[in-house]
Amino acid sequence: MPRFEDVAEGDEIQTETRVHAKDHVRAYARASDIFFPRFTDDEGARREGLPGMITPGNMSMGLIGTFLERWAGPGALRRLGTTFRGLLLPDRTIHICGVITQRDDTTRTVEVDVWIENEDGERAVIGTATVALA
Amino acid sequence: MRVDVDPAILGQEFDRAEHEPVTADDLISFALALGENHPCYIQAGPELIAHPTYCVRFKGKKFFPDTLPESLRFRMSFDAGKDLALGVPIRAGDVITIVSTLHEVYEKTGRTGTMVFVVVRFRMTNQRDETVAVVDNRFMYKAEG
Repeated sequence: MPRFEDVAEGDEIQTETRVHAKDHVRAYARASDIFFPRFTDDEGARREGLPGMITPGNMSMGLIGTFLERWAGPGALRRLGTTFRGLLLPDRTIHICGVITQRDDTTRTVEVDVWIENEDGERAVIGTATVALA
Repeated sequence: MRVDVDPAILGQEFDRAEHEPVTADDLISFALALGENHPCYIQAGPELIAHPTYCVRFKGKKFFPDTLPESLRFRMSFDAGKDLALGVPIRAGDVITIVSTLHEVYEKTGRTGTMVFVVVRFRMTNQRDETVAVVDNRFMYKAEG
């Protein structure tokens, strides 16, 4: 885990690239008690006018939370704000990215810009976070 | 789309919901679905705590206050995003209460026209009245026509 003294504004957090599988989305929908067709099957989602199954916005937020705490350690996340700009479709490769924008010596926290990019390089989810470092 | 909201309704509690006690299975299945592998999120026992975004799983009984203009209450809205400020961790056995308030209503004009954003604030506390999270949920309404 990085220590506060070891990071600087402009540092990038190592990007996490993963195949965002439909089964992961279904598991999240089940665990979150939102097992609706738009999150669980393509046909049901199309009937709602969507191109296919989509990722719940809350799951995108959760993936960013996991990404940040893998970097900084469990319990490090203090605040997370996200904007859902576009659909994040499963069974595609996604990239979860972050860059440090500010350090606060008093609280030993950093501000981080975070986002999830799809295969086309579009940022479907963007946000900012406050993370505490040791 | 023009929206007139009485400023007096901002900040007023419009819903309060108490949930069943959180179970270890709930916490673990949620964390595993996000690919978590840290023991504090996926192993039952006294060290088990909720993933930091677990709190967004909780809902109130009402989405919006009855005092919100009908032009917004009965129209399709989109989840535009959330701001989450974390308090003490949620643990198995916790009973979470959500108090909902209308926090903000504003308009924004972009490339596709004017949109209205309604921000509902959920303050979540445990059975010891400790804040576990404050979640601002932004609902977006696209311009009509």
